[in-house]
Amino acid sequence: MTASTAEPVARAPVPVKLLGIVLAGAAVSVALGVYGKVHDPTGEKPYTLFFSDTINLKVWFASAAVFLAAVQVLLALRLYDKVHVPRTSPPWLGDAHRLTGVVAFGLTLPVAYQCLWALGFQSTDTRVLVHSLLGCFFFGVFTIKVLAVRTHGWPSWLLPILGGTVFTTLVLIWLTSSVWFWREFGFPSF
Amino acid sequence: MGFRRFVNIVEVVAGVAVLVFVIALFANEPGGGSGSTAKSGPGYDVYLSNCARCHGQEGQGGIGPRLAGEVTTAFPDAKDEIALVRTGRDGMPSFAGDLSPTEIEDVVAYTRAELNK
Repeated sequence: MTASTAEPVARAPVPVKLLGIVLAGAAVSVALGVYGKVHDPTGEKPYTLFFSDTINLKVWFASAAVFLAAVQVLLALRLYDKVHVPRTSPPWLGDAHRLTGVVAFGLTLPVAYQCLWALGFQSTDTRVLVHSLLGCFFFGVFTIKVLAVRTHGWPSWLLPILGGTVFTTLVLIWLTSSVWFWREFGFPSF
Repeated sequence: MGFRRFVNIVEVVAGVAVLVFVIALFANEPGGGSGSTAKSGPGYDVYLSNCARCHGQEGQGGIGPRLAGEVTTAFPDAKDEIALVRTGRDGMPSFAGDLSPTEIEDVVAYTRAELNK
């Protein structure tokens, strides 16, 4: 009896929630841009791991992140029934989608750190400016995507739009950095 | 169940990595005093604003090649270094649109005098 008469939990309307997560993402983007502009770039190479140079690490990590992100998009297409391979969707598909996304994101962190800390926000030419802007935008829109995944009540089109935006931004960042590097200096060794 | 738990753990690790990322950005702030020499002058200012991010604050090299102690060997004639700064080469951008001819001459003089010590 009490259950049937209990008042529904008040939820913020979708536009208000959407505004909230967009503001959070914008704050992340702006914060990274301000840091990159204000911070004195060191020009240093803080780590190489098992690579011969930091730039090689960055090219390979960014490329691996794009590959995993592409896999994540394919898994999302299966989750949304836009493709039918495999014919029966395995129960672990959603977790695999999460895992590829998290690992892809993790690979972007050391790349972004060296960009921000050693190089900063640059505008020396169009490619560099576009890369700097997209780098800041990526982490903002990624924040929005994560917050949207963690909350409920969104229209069905929102997550695919956000996921597609994150993926597109990552590819554009990769094109203006790793692919540019291949074209200018050749395919990097490890 | 096991796979989901594994993914949850990976997500927690990624969250920690984000924290480390943010802390490292601020904890690793350069210019704490060790190793940096007090310099001034127009060439120095231009160098810090435009060149240090790739060649290092002390010209020690980084994304770009080392300048300290090597720039006059690579460019015995200062005019060649000025031309390179103007036009750019390989991964180095052209600074003709960003720096005036005087600024380029100042920064080249700085790299040849101060960084070469």
